[in-house]
Amino acid sequence: MKILIADDSRVMRQIVVRTLRQAGFGDHDLIEAADGQEALDKAIAENPDVVISDWNMPHLTGIEVLRQLRSAGNNVKFGFVTSESTPEMKTAAESSGAAFFIVKPFTAERFDEVFAPILG
Amino acid sequence: MSVEVEVNETDLAEMVEQVWESYLDPEGVSPLIQTYDENQPSEVHSSVSITGSWSGHVVFASSRVAAQRAAAAFLAMEAEEVSEEDISDTLGELANIVGGNVKAMLPSGAQLSLPQVMLAPETSTRYPNATRISGVYGIWEGEPVSISMWHSSADNKEEKGE
Repeated sequence: MKILIADDSRVMRQIVVRTLRQAGFGDHDLIEAADGQEALDKAIAENPDVVISDWNMPHLTGIEVLRQLRSAGNNVKFGFVTSESTPEMKTAAESSGAAFFIVKPFTAERFDEVFAPILG
Repeated sequence: MSVEVEVNETDLAEMVEQVWESYLDPEGVSPLIQTYDENQPSEVHSSVSITGSWSGHVVFASSRVAAQRAAAAFLAMEAEEVSEEDISDTLGELANIVGGNVKAMLPSGAQLSLPQVMLAPETSTRYPNATRISGVYGIWEGEPVSISMWHSSADNKEEKGE
């Protein structure tokens, strides 16, 4: 499967990649986006199976990316990895069709719990 | 009117512990050992600002060696391979993670800024009208590391942005 990792922090993208590997999902095709606009563009152009997105990013926030994808009829599995988790954000994510919501800091166990059903 | 801070020292210590467990010490062999010395020295620091329902700053400060080790742990590299950019990005991310966790405990309507990084001692940055209200001060593998919260007395009453 192809997984798009969107985060404006290079370090956090690396950590997400490493944690995916630790959780046993390193064999998937991992691609990256460094801001919200790039995430939207790649989500359309690269046709990933899953998008793992930060919330707060330049140009477009993660929730804006998700909303734009959904309004364009794109139903890619999309979820968030963010250090800011408020009930409002979780509600907004769910109502926009997010498949998961992971809070930083996260562990490989947490990734396994969330991604095992999605990535198999 | 300012909102009473709802994040105390114990909460902050718990967030910091989670960062260590998740990224800096996943094996549980080199935890941050608290010294409670708020005057311990630092060589580098990073911060995020929170505005809205509560206003202030979350500051991460450490020695350069500790920052280098953190970057090596974050990026799964050897400490000697770590670049200046790796250190800056790691410092920014550390402030962002703790700041985001702090924000999650505040009343809704708080905004988190993008992180700022200074490869200079914590004392080189001033936070006008702000007072340090709590902090976790410790030693990590012999190197000083601290995470502290500063509250701005000039709390604004911005409407919630989201």
